[in-house]
Amino acid sequence: MLTSPDRIARQAHFLPLVAMLFLAACSSVPETERTDPRDPFEASNRKAFAFNMAVDTYLLEPAASGYRKTIPLAGRRAVDNHIDWIGLPATTFNSTLQGRFENAGLSAIHFTINSLTLGLIDLTEDPKAVKEQDFGQTLASFDVPEGNYLMVPLLGPNTNRSLTGRFVDTVTNPVSFLKAGDSIETMQSLRTPVAVVARRANLFEPFNDVKYNSLDPYARTRSLYYQGRAGRINATIGKPTDNRETDDQFESFLESSK
Amino acid sequence: MMILTQTPAISVMVKRWLGKMLMVICLPMALAGLPANADSQINAATEVISKMIGEVETYLATDPGDVARRTQNIARLFDTHFDLEGIARFSAGPYWRAATDQERITYIQTMRDLMVGTVVRNFDQLSGLNFTTIDSQAKGDKMVLVRGTFNDASGKRPPISVGWRVITPGAAPAKVLDVEIENISMLVTQKQENIAIIRKNEGKFSALIEAMKSRQQSR
Repeated sequence: MLTSPDRIARQAHFLPLVAMLFLAACSSVPETERTDPRDPFEASNRKAFAFNMAVDTYLLEPAASGYRKTIPLAGRRAVDNHIDWIGLPATTFNSTLQGRFENAGLSAIHFTINSLTLGLIDLTEDPKAVKEQDFGQTLASFDVPEGNYLMVPLLGPNTNRSLTGRFVDTVTNPVSFLKAGDSIETMQSLRTPVAVVARRANLFEPFNDVKYNSLDPYARTRSLYYQGRAGRINATIGKPTDNRETDDQFESFLESSK
Repeated sequence: MMILTQTPAISVMVKRWLGKMLMVICLPMALAGLPANADSQINAATEVISKMIGEVETYLATDPGDVARRTQNIARLFDTHFDLEGIARFSAGPYWRAATDQERITYIQTMRDLMVGTVVRNFDQLSGLNFTTIDSQAKGDKMVLVRGTFNDASGKRPPISVGWRVITPGAAPAKVLDVEIENISMLVTQKQENIAIIRKNEGKFSALIEAMKSRQQSR
């Protein structure tokens, strides 16, 4: 059963993000004072980052640490599988929009097969065959500009384009609208917090390295985000290993060294 | 008179002919030389990576768990196989030019110590990883990207895709300039972080060195 209007109404947790965008817009840093030209709202972004780090220190990091210690590997894998499975309709939707029909078909097949186990066990032969696609990537494939860098409370690093993509992916995911009994609803309500903890647990060491060992964790996070995102966008347009921006930086470095 | 007026024309003709002859002689050599050069460039880069991985494997196999010994080994590894000056120049971005000689020396030394310290702290995580080279690709005439995968022998950790950007300056030995993990360049990340610190401190290069030193002391 689909109940889209009330589900959309429940997406109220996006309202603080909209508010954040307005706040950010009010505190734009002059171009000459920016530490990165793509980050005009650095002052308010840094505040949001400090808030996110506090949430991580008091909530996420201990939860992720406990999750790693108490949940056996097989259980963690099942949670990861379920999270991947939930994202498959978005991949089908976005791959179709991008004209990548093979990926769209594969993700639809994987979703159907794994729905037998609610995605907890992967029954497909090659789970890596499906390339995850979000609406931010779809917008990128249509040459929609990336916009500015935004550090969003609780959601982390984004750009205008990727944040729009996140919103569209959430409201268009049919799994979010599904109502099929109490147990499924409980699972649905637990999904987001469990997914956040599982993701933090999977990135436990690299995340802590950025958090505790960086000279400037905010700047490092921003750089990692942009490079990681560029990799995903390149994958969308069929160039998984061609990181042109990085190549250009090294090329001009070697030129200047001559 | 005629000879005099024809001399420049003859001279031009001779030059053109010589030019053509040189082209005829040199072009095949150049064409033959290009792939050979690219091949030797790729070989040098692949060799330095396999040598370095071999040394790390030896260190892991003979590791007594002693931090001083680990530090010594990893420092040797960096000094031998990494282009520390290149890394310093790249990671300082446009501010390298503004730095004094003394600042440059201090920066290279502090950066090296920080990198060595990072590897030593995470040394145990290297245990059980096997590196397999996938391919090597020339990026211009002075750089090769050697790509491969680290696989965990126990299967507990997912495979990690790694790319090594190796400088191949011809006569000088090939050295590693950058490491890319899952297509994310560690050197580009460091550069952007460093630039942010310098800009926050009104363009003072010394502020970056101070931040690095205080990070080093807090460890």
